[in-house]
Amino acid sequence: MAGIERVGADAWRDRVARGNVAGLHAAIGPDGTPEVRAVLAGETPRLLAVAAPGGVVPTLVDLLPAGWDEREAADLYGLRFEGHDPHRALVHHPDDRDLWATPVVGSDVHTVPVGPVHAGVIESGHFLFHVVGERVLHVDARLFHKHRGLERHAEGRSPEDAGRVLSRVCAGCAVTNAVAYAAATEDALGRVPGEGTRRVRTLLIELERMWNHLNDVSQICAGVGLAPGTMLFATLKERVQRVCALLTGHRFMFDAVTLASAPGDPGDAAREAMRAELAAVAADAATAARGLLFDTSLRDRTSGPGRIDADAVRELGVVGPAARAAGVAADSRTDAPRLWYPGFAAVVPPTPAGDVAARLEARWVELEQAAGIVGELLSAPLRPDAPADTGTGTGHGVGIAESPRGRTVCTVEIRGGTVRRVHLRTGSYANWPAVAVAGTRAILPDFPLVNKSFELCYACVDR
Amino acid sequence: MLTRLARVRRAVGLERRPPASCAIRLVDAGSCNGCEHELVATGGPHHDLQRYGFAITASPRHADVLLVSGPVTTRMLPALLRAYAAMPEPRLVAALGDCPLGGGVDAHPDEVAGPLERVLPVDIRIPGCPPTPGQIAEGLRVGLAALPPERRPW
Repeated sequence: MAGIERVGADAWRDRVARGNVAGLHAAIGPDGTPEVRAVLAGETPRLLAVAAPGGVVPTLVDLLPAGWDEREAADLYGLRFEGHDPHRALVHHPDDRDLWATPVVGSDVHTVPVGPVHAGVIESGHFLFHVVGERVLHVDARLFHKHRGLERHAEGRSPEDAGRVLSRVCAGCAVTNAVAYAAATEDALGRVPGEGTRRVRTLLIELERMWNHLNDVSQICAGVGLAPGTMLFATLKERVQRVCALLTGHRFMFDAVTLASAPGDPGDAAREAMRAELAAVAADAATAARGLLFDTSLRDRTSGPGRIDADAVRELGVVGPAARAAGVAADSRTDAPRLWYPGFAAVVPPTPAGDVAARLEARWVELEQAAGIVGELLSAPLRPDAPADTGTGTGHGVGIAESPRGRTVCTVEIRGGTVRRVHLRTGSYANWPAVAVAGTRAILPDFPLVNKSFELCYACVDR
Repeated sequence: MLTRLARVRRAVGLERRPPASCAIRLVDAGSCNGCEHELVATGGPHHDLQRYGFAITASPRHADVLLVSGPVTTRMLPALLRAYAAMPEPRLVAALGDCPLGGGVDAHPDEVAGPLERVLPVDIRIPGCPPTPGQIAEGLRVGLAALPPERRPW
């Protein structure tokens, strides 16, 4: 069970600076005072909290990449972070641009506002580019157009009902989010899933990674107008999603992971057919990737733009393939006692330059790795634990899982069998600030390509 | 690479249809991204939505159909209404997935202005969470064919 330790305002900054912080969020403390909680990652994740009497609390933005966390907490809980000035709205959308965007002034500086509705079939979000000619000086990302208040709506319900509300946060990370929520809830209630359930959850997370990475390669090809690559990887994604549907009854595996259950074994013959099909997809993807490697127009467009190097990764708190593409071998699967990753080691692509090309290569090496894990897990019958009552209880829990976009951290507070606070900080949430910075390291027409090389979700940021 | 794609198309044996013409503009009004993934897949090699004459356009200014996903969040409502206002008449509205139809996601009532028919007239309904590519293609074809001839875009 993840304990919570409450510290005074004087010790708060020092304690946080010494910890491995995996996100901040606001909540209401036991005596009704608002407080800020930090998740400290490690062998046993813990929570550190500081009360915000009168809604005021010292900022952490000079110590760690918590700018968006604090802006969200300020908007949703009315907190003021002393030293984080000026506060720019993140979740709320004031009409006055000065209240949410960074002023950029100078001769010939102009702005290019894009979205929330975009030309392609993609999610809604707004970008304000400050440019001189084609050179991008600064990007203000204004997301949360899709804010559905899902955390607030889940609170006050039983863990099962809260899980149902959260099940539709994001299609691209549906399994990862469900696993992180289940792990957090089980942690809060002092439960540990058995090996069978851990293996099934790991299988589904890696299947989710496979179709997402295939999708992302397809989208990067679309970003440079390479239609054969776009379509070929789209067909490979489709083949994986058809296996997902056979295994779980749903192409995005919605509702496959809940507190009570996980999909059972499809039978030896069906399982072997799925294993063979996924191995074939992985082989086809590897062949196609070799083809793309020698496509000079693709190399030309992807080498260089949107560079986020290892220093920027640490400074901005980047996670997942985008961090590994800069040579930072961080992966929450290396320490995942609630899942099944024996002997797992993080992989970095052969040329970890931190640009679009490196993020493309990261997808290929991770596809191979995911296919290997999936193949192994499908070689034995799936034996999830028998459904059990969640029961009632009280406690704090933290669940961590590696989504196709990086470390996803779910925090749950349960009191008397009711979810009091649930917070989901996904890999996309961690990485969006880096997309805005990467946008300044490319010309304006390359922003869509840079954006696609991260391929972050809007839905699981907005919630 | 191209020959491999040709193989996919032969393997799924897609039927060819006489062409119509219908331009679609999608607005994501708060979806989970499932409907967007499936709409992209509908235009992919396994389903090839284009063979029915459907095209996804970049702008609502030359769209026949406004295809709307998501429960219509309060923050997307102004952009949704602007996209609709930008369309030439006659124009149609189609609800993509359960969310704009009032099902799907269980969102906080303070944050949504939907279901879609509360804010725009809905002509075509494509249920599903999300609808599969086959259901999207079928929903658009059948939904348009069911309209009185003077309302069809062809």
